[in-house]
Amino acid sequence: MALIIPVIFIAVFTFSAIKKVNIYESFTDGITEAFKFTVSLLPCLAAVFMMCELFERSGLSDLLTKWLSPVFGLLGIPEELTKLVLIKPFSGSGSLAYLSRIIEAYGADSYVARCACVCFGSSETVFYISAVYFAGLKVKKLALPIVCVLVATLVSTILACLICRIM
Amino acid sequence: MNVIFTAVFISSMVALAICAPQDFLPALMQGGESAVKTALTLFTIYAVWMGLSKLCERSGISRGVARALRPAARKIFRTDDEAATESLAMNISCNLLGLGGAATPYAVKAIAELEKEGNSFAQKLLFVINATSIQILPTTVIALRAGAGSAAAADIFLPSLICTAVSTLLATGLFLAGNKLWR
Repeated sequence: MALIIPVIFIAVFTFSAIKKVNIYESFTDGITEAFKFTVSLLPCLAAVFMMCELFERSGLSDLLTKWLSPVFGLLGIPEELTKLVLIKPFSGSGSLAYLSRIIEAYGADSYVARCACVCFGSSETVFYISAVYFAGLKVKKLALPIVCVLVATLVSTILACLICRIM
Repeated sequence: MNVIFTAVFISSMVALAICAPQDFLPALMQGGESAVKTALTLFTIYAVWMGLSKLCERSGISRGVARALRPAARKIFRTDDEAATESLAMNISCNLLGLGGAATPYAVKAIAELEKEGNSFAQKLLFVINATSIQILPTTVIALRAGAGSAAAADIFLPSLICTAVSTLLATGLFLAGNKLWR
């Protein structure tokens, strides 16, 4: 398992060398894009992290969790994940903020943190993606795909919490 | 996002101003600090994988992959457009490597190409696949866990794989079924 990533890298680098691609320049160009991308992300991250911090310290988040956790509890989702699950469809940076808080608070190897990681890794920012993808296009009837995705996301979240108990 | 952001921000500010006004500014600063830390972690991951994907692009690997995937793309996405297929292939490869961020530009490109074809079925299907996240390597999560001192950062690999496969298959199945029903 641990060999997969090194093998991918060695294969790509060797092949590129054979193809006489300027490896150093290409790799650096890729990193430049990564840098630009990270920088473009930072303002959203900062704003959302500030929101999370305020929400957390004001005690409102505890209130919301208290309201909704019985519902989530019925589905087998730990109450600590309530906020993560709620914010994930809307914002990647927001859910990332909650994920890193959960990892910090409970420890990376705790049940809650592992659960959170699996939920985070197996779902996507549905509404954000639909906004980005279909901005300015004429595609209609988006309700069906969106509902399908949301149902599947809920199922996989419940499944994630179940699997993490066993594995 | 704007509506949620505004609502949460204002209600939290009011609540905090009443309960603990001295915590107000520290809370904001703390948020900014965590944002910078997270961005750094993310940059290290993106740098590695986007560097590699640039190499794939320049050495023709991604074009080769796209060509190999063309028959599959024709069947699944019902498209024959070469540029669209290449973007589709890159999008799905990035997704599989857990690079949601890097995958997005390719998806947008693919959707624009498909628009020329008038292929709204493929556009929606691509959305369903992307929105349920298909990934083999949850790179972001593994990096975050490793950064937090996990003993076995990659041990969520298998559970993630099962969940993401189930959600993608389920959503695609529902979508295809619904698409047939409502036609």
